[in-house]
Amino acid sequence: MKKGKNTLFAYAWSAPSLFLILMIVIFPILYTAYISMTNMNVYHWNNYEFIGLENYKDALLVLDNGFITALFFTVLWTIVNMVLQVAIAFLLATLLNIRKLKLRNVYKTLLIFPWAMPGYVSILLWKTGMFNSQFGLLNQWLQKVGFEPVRWLNSNGMAFICCTVVNLWLALPFMITIIDGALQSIDKSYYESAMLDGATWLERTRYITLPMIKPIIAPSVIITTFTTFKQFDIIYLLTQQVGAKTGAEIHTILTYAYEKAFITNNYGYSSAVSIIIFIMLIVFSSVSNAEPKKRGNN
Amino acid sequence: MRRVLSVILAATLAIGALSGCGKQSEEMEENGTVTITIWHDKEDAVAEVLQTKLETLEPEIHVVLEKKSDLTESLKMVGNDPKAAPDMYLFAHDKIGVYAEMEILSPITDIISEQELEQYVESTVEAATYKDTVYQLPIYYETLLFMYNRLYMSDEEVPKTTEELYAYMQENTNGGHYGFVEQHSTPYYAAGWINGFEGSILSADGTAGLDKPETIAALEYHKKFVELMPGETEYATVNTLFKEKMAHSTIAGPWLIPTVRESGIDVGIAAMPVIDETGIPISPYMGVQGVHVLKNAAENKHEAVEKVLRLLMEPDIGLELAQASGCAPANKACYEMDEVLSDEVVMAMKETAEYAVPMPNVPEMDVMWTVAGNLLTDINMSDKDVTLSAQEAQQEAEKLIESMR
Repeated sequence: MKKGKNTLFAYAWSAPSLFLILMIVIFPILYTAYISMTNMNVYHWNNYEFIGLENYKDALLVLDNGFITALFFTVLWTIVNMVLQVAIAFLLATLLNIRKLKLRNVYKTLLIFPWAMPGYVSILLWKTGMFNSQFGLLNQWLQKVGFEPVRWLNSNGMAFICCTVVNLWLALPFMITIIDGALQSIDKSYYESAMLDGATWLERTRYITLPMIKPIIAPSVIITTFTTFKQFDIIYLLTQQVGAKTGAEIHTILTYAYEKAFITNNYGYSSAVSIIIFIMLIVFSSVSNAEPKKRGNN
Repeated sequence: MRRVLSVILAATLAIGALSGCGKQSEEMEENGTVTITIWHDKEDAVAEVLQTKLETLEPEIHVVLEKKSDLTESLKMVGNDPKAAPDMYLFAHDKIGVYAEMEILSPITDIISEQELEQYVESTVEAATYKDTVYQLPIYYETLLFMYNRLYMSDEEVPKTTEELYAYMQENTNGGHYGFVEQHSTPYYAAGWINGFEGSILSADGTAGLDKPETIAALEYHKKFVELMPGETEYATVNTLFKEKMAHSTIAGPWLIPTVRESGIDVGIAAMPVIDETGIPISPYMGVQGVHVLKNAAENKHEAVEKVLRLLMEPDIGLELAQASGCAPANKACYEMDEVLSDEVVMAMKETAEYAVPMPNVPEMDVMWTVAGNLLTDINMSDKDVTLSAQEAQQEAEKLIESMR
């Protein structure tokens, strides 16, 4: 009886937060789903009607060869960025945890700096300050040592690398902070014992550090994987901004959907495309969450 | 104590979350003052002129000029909500079709008679008309201009034709210097070349014209000029090259002139070169900046809105805007004033406006900026076949236009 009362109280105390989540997260999704089944567009702004799954039929046409290529690119983009992000962040966080490291806080402040700047500003600074073929720092350096200027964002391969660099610049502070915190939570006595047993740095990393930080950083890695998967700003602002296109044709599923649906002012159609992408993300999420559980059960 | 604190915190959270859902404060009408809110995205010089003029309506009418960086999207979101939407907005005419179809705009002729609109340059009223209804009170218009740096290009050297321009570019493009630069792969800029070939990006009735033979001919001809320009095509690079004296001439908007003059450049302005192939000058798009009235304001604040519009119709506003920011007044009466007639920039725009093409104001233009931009990038930056790319872009445009409905 007391347990039931406690449960009731727990729900009552959580109610405002649950209500907030409902309003901020669930309601927009449900509303988008509703709009996706109407003909709401610029010609039917107030007098839109329920048209069932018509928009989904049209939206599936967006899933053409271009979409498949964009999906492949998005997966590749996510894998490359996540591998690099975790590896570099781990390396830097490990260096930050070297005993007797001087100016540790200065390094930490510097490493967190990109996080303090608005993403939009950082991306455009990279675009004009670094990659611009006329005034960018990279080309100025190249010209100083006698090379021809390079159009960094003109070809797909080069643009992919440039976008990855900017994404790492923006994302590393978060990952470094998380891994740094995880490293500091490990009891130093484990390392002392291992060192007494003659374990090398590699062995200590493999058998102590990695297993111990894994559960701590896992949620952050999952969250960042999603952020990377649904990346829009970096790719769009660096290569596809209207009036500033660079010639590279790299698309994530979101930039592709934007060009094929969102610019049409057809909100029913765009919502249907959004819901399809949302379902894909849910499937992706279920798959990535199922794996650790299975392992956990074993 | 902790429980009380939790209750207070939870209540604060809930109230905070719900505060946006309720009604906003009622329109302030203390002491009979009516507040009119005007959204705009204009530079400070323009806003200051308007604000000073509109302050003369106080205390009867209090006009708030609110700068909105994302004006067009914000209007889509709140245009129907009288509590969140402005009463009027000052913007270019090219979005009229979108908002007229969304039924958030009031015809300007519901407030100002058609006869009174005859005092405006015809093409500005034409630009403000969508489906035979005028939705904008024109204030000023702008077109791109041919500008040159007198340090490098004397007045006599200014190319009269595009072939003369090409010869000048060949002679002067080297060592980090460019004879001529423009945002070659941006539809707004490339439109001048396309219109000069009598091609089109989008016709007034909303039909895409990317695969028209005239458009393809323009794109093919334009490409040889692009080869003598820098790869980057965006606003910052092109304008910086001109401001830093690394480009001898450019095609840019009048808004560039004050900053260029501040950089110490003796800038000259000339008529657009005539395209040798067609005998027509490069014919850029013309944008008409004016005031639009939202339906709610026209219905509920008719009298105040009319007073604001009538004040903005006075020719001296056109003169002040021309002096402050080089805007070409839409009111014909301004062109009888010596100050306007002696303004090199304004008169150059007036001349260009004679062959400039008003930007289409139909909703379909929204998709054309992206499709035409992709086409120009494919041709100019990725070196793809012109005809094939144009045909593909046309199909894409037709598909997207179909998706709009």
